Amino acid sequence: MSSSTEVRPAPAPGAAVAEPRRRGRGARRQGSDRAPFRRYHLIIYLLLGAVAFSTAGAFAWVFNVSMKTNTEFIGTRPWSVAEGWRWENYTDAWNSANVGSFFGNSVIVSVTATALGVVLAAFAAYPLARIPFRGSGLVLSVFLLGLMVPWMVTFIPLYVTMQDLGLLDSRLGLALVYATYNLPFNVFVLVGFMRTLPGELEEAAAVDGAGPTRTFLRIILPLMGPGVASVSIISFLQNWNEFFYALVLIHSPERMTLPLGLFQLGQAADYGTNWVTLFAGMMITVVPVLLVFALLQNQVTKGLTAGALKG
Amino acid sequence: MHRSAQRRIIIPFLLPALLLLGVFFLYPLVRTVDISFTEWTRTGSYSYVGVENYTRVVDDPGYLNALKNAFLFTLVGGCMLFPVAIAIAWALNQRVHGERFFRFVVFAPVVLSAAVVALMWKFVYHPTLGLINPALEGLGLGALARTWLGDASTALPAVAFVTVWHGIGIWVVLLSAGFERLPPDVLEAGRIDGAGEWRLFRSVMLPMLRDLFRILVVLWIVQSMQAFAFVFIMTGGGPFGSTDIVGTLMYRVAFERSEFGYAAAMGVVLVVIMLIVAQIVNKVMKRDELQY
Repeated sequence: MSSSTEVRPAPAPGAAVAEPRRRGRGARRQGSDRAPFRRYHLIIYLLLGAVAFSTAGAFAWVFNVSMKTNTEFIGTRPWSVAEGWRWENYTDAWNSANVGSFFGNSVIVSVTATALGVVLAAFAAYPLARIPFRGSGLVLSVFLLGLMVPWMVTFIPLYVTMQDLGLLDSRLGLALVYATYNLPFNVFVLVGFMRTLPGELEEAAAVDGAGPTRTFLRIILPLMGPGVASVSIISFLQNWNEFFYALVLIHSPERMTLPLGLFQLGQAADYGTNWVTLFAGMMITVVPVLLVFALLQNQVTKGLTAGALKG
Repeated sequence: MHRSAQRRIIIPFLLPALLLLGVFFLYPLVRTVDISFTEWTRTGSYSYVGVENYTRVVDDPGYLNALKNAFLFTLVGGCMLFPVAIAIAWALNQRVHGERFFRFVVFAPVVLSAAVVALMWKFVYHPTLGLINPALEGLGLGALARTWLGDASTALPAVAFVTVWHGIGIWVVLLSAGFERLPPDVLEAGRIDGAGEWRLFRSVMLPMLRDLFRILVVLWIVQSMQAFAFVFIMTGGGPFGSTDIVGTLMYRVAFERSEFGYAAAMGVVLVVIMLIVAQIVNKVMKRDELQY
């Protein structure tokens, strides 16, 4: 570890040094801050290269199979390159294998759940973060409880409750459940975020004659941009990928989301012969998510890491 | 005074969120305990049977097998996860070229749905159509080829491996943050004293990260005991129950045998066991604080 960030002796002159360590990563990307090559770096490149190769290889393989025909898939070596660009596998998957309908359901459920979860969390977080009242600590800990209770304890009573409410096997029911399970994390992040805003904001707004609702909508909320963006991205990814509650709560094929629908296709492929459409379906599920991740790598990494710590 | 005006919005702002939380989370949570004391019939009617579900759980061979597999899964997965994750996190902190690319690739599987990853790997493991067996044969190691998911001795490790592959990015990020926070002057002192990178890693970094490891191991236990999707999709608990874990067993008991009460009791027992194990591991790994 002989980079200049680490080795730098006493504070050297120069503006870059004054940067806090957190910023270091940005600075590190510039070539000048790279470590000079050492022999043990070979091991590092070998290790990271192997990891990268396995991941990239897996995706490349799925893509390659999605371009084959079923007979080609069975008849040729697994890594032989597909004979042509068979984009019709994708249209087949989209239309006859219902992936298009799964995709639509996923969009409806994820967008509804994310919007609901983020908006309600923003409203709930405001009084918890900025208005001192008796019991606010208790309410906050009720929300945080949601971060700690394992799903295994709640899925059966949830199923029974959904049955009682007539929300079983409905997209609205699934979206409401997703929104609820997004809430604790969203509230937790947004409360933390709102607490960093200066306390004089409300006083100044009150002096100018704005009521509390107006203050929240016009002054606080616009300042929350980055926080709202980050919880929205994380909620959306989690809702898009969620499998277990979809499996428990949705039964009819026309209401299934992508992960559940693909699982069903996978079951069918075990007994049938239509593999390539399944692979095309996998690509259709994976590509939007990877695009989001590629565009927002740092935000997604931080958010998902924090989100995964629940449970 | 704006304070009193503010008070009027507290309840309307909190209510919608609390309503959702109450209906879809708190109420079911309380109801679990209630349900675990009941016996259900297929028609949906139920009657209270006291602690019978709990006494049944304790000597149900299926449950004990699932519990054993869950422990095995946690152990095998942990042994695959931590050495690799620590190595990757260490490597990423070495200021190598392409750091951003490597971070992207290591984390990419995390953003994918467990369902898709499980399906994909189910095919990778496929004995004839997959990648692993043909690759082994290509390397002249055909003797190692087997039906990975169909063989009772390899199915559990195979599924554990995929779970680790999917989630490793999270652990790398957490460990990497730990490496980044190590005090640079201590490492520098080690270098001046002539320690090589390996020595520095083993004798300085690892002991200093001990506390972080403890937390992460406890987290891994809590998470992997609740594993479900990978096992459910890749093997469904088979072959011969060799990968059946509590999650898949509960699912079958609840939705194939309609025994909601019994399944709820299984969940409660697992969570209690999980918390006890986590506490014990936490205690055991907590040695005297290292001073630095």
